[in-house]
Amino acid sequence: MSTLQNIQGNAACAAGAIAAGCRFYAGYPITPSSEIAEQMAARLPKVGGTFIQMEDELGSMAATVGASLGGVKAMTATSGPGFSLKQENLGYAAMTETPCVIVNVMRGGPSTGLPTRPAQADIMQARWGTHGDHPIIVLAPHTVREIFEETIRAFNLAEALRVPVVVLYDETIGHLVETVDLTPPQPEDIVTRTFASGPAEDYLPYAAGEDMIPAFPRPGDGYRTHTTGLTHDERGFPTQDPQKVDAFMKRLLGKLERHAKMIEKTESVEVDDAQVLIVTMGTPARAAKTAIRQLRDEGIRAGLLRPVTLWPFPEAALRAAAKGKRAVLVPEMNAGQLILEVQRVLGGAAPVSGLNVFNGEPIAPQQIAQAVKELVK
Amino acid sequence: MSKTEPLEMQIRFAGSGGQGLILSARILAAALAGEGRFVAQSQAYEPTSRGGLSRSDLVISEREVDYPLVTALDVAVILDQVAVPACAGLLGRQTLTIIDAGKVTAPPEEPQTIHALPITETARALGNPRVANITALGALAELAGLIAPQTLRARMLKLVPARFRDINAEAFDAGQALAKAAEKV
Repeated sequence: MSTLQNIQGNAACAAGAIAAGCRFYAGYPITPSSEIAEQMAARLPKVGGTFIQMEDELGSMAATVGASLGGVKAMTATSGPGFSLKQENLGYAAMTETPCVIVNVMRGGPSTGLPTRPAQADIMQARWGTHGDHPIIVLAPHTVREIFEETIRAFNLAEALRVPVVVLYDETIGHLVETVDLTPPQPEDIVTRTFASGPAEDYLPYAAGEDMIPAFPRPGDGYRTHTTGLTHDERGFPTQDPQKVDAFMKRLLGKLERHAKMIEKTESVEVDDAQVLIVTMGTPARAAKTAIRQLRDEGIRAGLLRPVTLWPFPEAALRAAAKGKRAVLVPEMNAGQLILEVQRVLGGAAPVSGLNVFNGEPIAPQQIAQAVKELVK
Repeated sequence: MSKTEPLEMQIRFAGSGGQGLILSARILAAALAGEGRFVAQSQAYEPTSRGGLSRSDLVISEREVDYPLVTALDVAVILDQVAVPACAGLLGRQTLTIIDAGKVTAPPEEPQTIHALPITETARALGNPRVANITALGALAELAGLIAPQTLRARMLKLVPARFRDINAEAFDAGQALAKAAEKV
């Protein structure tokens, strides 16, 4: 069924969450993410869900993890300063393998920075914001329609892999209203975690089979469990036994690689014959698409590789796309974060340069076109 | 101007925070979408509830656009002097420009045609300067030839709060009348 409508990016996020089966939201409002809370407050009661405005972001993240441990699909949303505050409990979600979705609508930083202006300076924080080696998935939509789709995918991945998933986009798209066709997902496109089944007496809450994902004990089903942020054994109890710690960490960190095919997602535009490869995400990726068309009209062949799944980083896709290119350009609304990963992955295979804008203004197509022209001079 | 998307048109409503220009843009966006056109509507404002620069932009196309932000304006509606510098670089000779005659003291130089209309003054005469945003919308409907004024008016009446419907209807009609008078000059 076609449902063409004008909808804001943040509202599309809330719509996607509800469509994915989210029935719990805990948050603390902050520009430019507040409309997500507003929308969830209005929408959740209508589907039997629960909305709580917590006392702060620490509490919001804690409540989100707690609700998910109760067996409910849960999310929270925030921006820069709030994302910093959520990091501790986000790490707890990663450690306890609690599915949850965290939306970070990026504004200018550091600190309170530019509350109403776009930025992309949380690219590295989204990966490494909480302490310790930890698994995390970060999705980076670039249109209002894609915010809807990727929020659904965020829940699916969180549930399937028992991992926190961050949906990361900039203020421009969060506040953008676009005419879009939001096709509701089919029931078979919605993933819910595997709940524990079989004899309760044999159940080990952190034992996993070939797929490396333990079955989740739904409260009330009669399965004994123990949840702790301490490194734990298959029973869920703390351990410092090096062998057990090693096995646990290898499974915790290895499960995303095991399911890489399910997670990876990139978009390629005119890459094959390109002289210059542009690697970017969010609003700058939309500027890049317009720039590519302008450049090709002038006989300059540029192409785009866009990580839709930002973390784990699409290493193989980038290596393949950059093969034989004269130059790689990384436009981003920060002082240079995505470029670090691009340089690491390419290891000198192609010269990489950045286009960095961090004055609160989005990157315009003309700026990208100009930067590409400099590179092919 | 550079046309990078098929049949694209770019519009900006700009003024000072609290003038209701984001609502004007949303109403226009809703009316256009109702006619099967694709819009991307963005805005910028400052972290204050009143005053400071506020603007809302529309990129209108026949399909979903790649770049959703304005790069060269076809139409500009400027209701406060504070917004004039913010339009620099986006205005050209051909930009149809509507300004508030009372609040814009130094109009931009680039556009060939500037309609200086007493928008806020007209709204105040109707009893509430806060309907200046709808007065401007009425003027835009008349001058821009973007959408049938009656279609836009009908959509506006659906989107404004019920208790302000009458005054907004009057504001829209007054804006249209201002524009008609200006066209004759």
